Amino acid sequence: MELIAFYSLAALVIMTALLVVTARNTVHSALFLGLCLAGVGGLFALLGADFLFAGQIMVYVGGIAVLIMFVVMLLGRASDLHLRQINGHWAAAVLVCSITLVGLWRVVSHFTQGMPSAAPLPTTGPLGLIMMGDYAVPFELVSLVLTGALLGAIFFSHREKAK
Amino acid sequence: MTTLNLGNFIALSAVLFVIGVFGALTRRNIIGILMGIELMFNAANINLVAFNRYLHPAGVTGQTLALFIITIAAAEVVVGLALVLAIYRNTDTVYVEDYNLLKG
Repeated sequence: MELIAFYSLAALVIMTALLVVTARNTVHSALFLGLCLAGVGGLFALLGADFLFAGQIMVYVGGIAVLIMFVVMLLGRASDLHLRQINGHWAAAVLVCSITLVGLWRVVSHFTQGMPSAAPLPTTGPLGLIMMGDYAVPFELVSLVLTGALLGAIFFSHREKAK
Repeated sequence: MTTLNLGNFIALSAVLFVIGVFGALTRRNIIGILMGIELMFNAANINLVAFNRYLHPAGVTGQTLALFIITIAAAEVVVGLALVLAIYRNTDTVYVEDYNLLKG
């Protein structure tokens, strides 16, 4: 059962990721990105991370993918559909990617641990406790980073008035 | 291969990461590059959660780190897209080979 779920989610994630990087129309790319991120959320659920599954759907699918969609539509032009979207260095990029994949594959083959027998527990409570305990300082720093990102986004997208 | 093991998840995340690298290296559109970077973030998150589940099932440290990565990715994409909008307003293009303002 878990095997079926894993392989269907893996197929979804990899197919949509390939479409994200190869689709000519950037709007299609952004839509497939949303589907790919939802598939990753399904993998989180399969791994027993229920809070992360909800966070993935809310932040990535509902936030980041929609935001990217907005910007794609703001900046898009009809003439973009007739231009090639891949630059001239794709052969070098394929080389870099295959070397990286071979290296990663050699590492992957060492990990064969099976699934632990205990069923996964709800993680929301433990996550809250660890955020307020061991990870309190990073938690506060992240809220600072978010405030900085908010101010930065307002600053950069602010249109200066013509004098 | 009868049961699911840790290698399955790491292999999937390696493939997803490499696809993201390929997108970031080859897209001409700057938003496409940002999408490739998002794919790489997600590959790292799958890795963290899988290691958490298989090697340390009693704790949630890996999931905490994945949560921090999701937050940082949201901040990154917000600032990145604001910068893209500002650059587009000045240069009127989204293709990165035309961004040569600093070229001597």
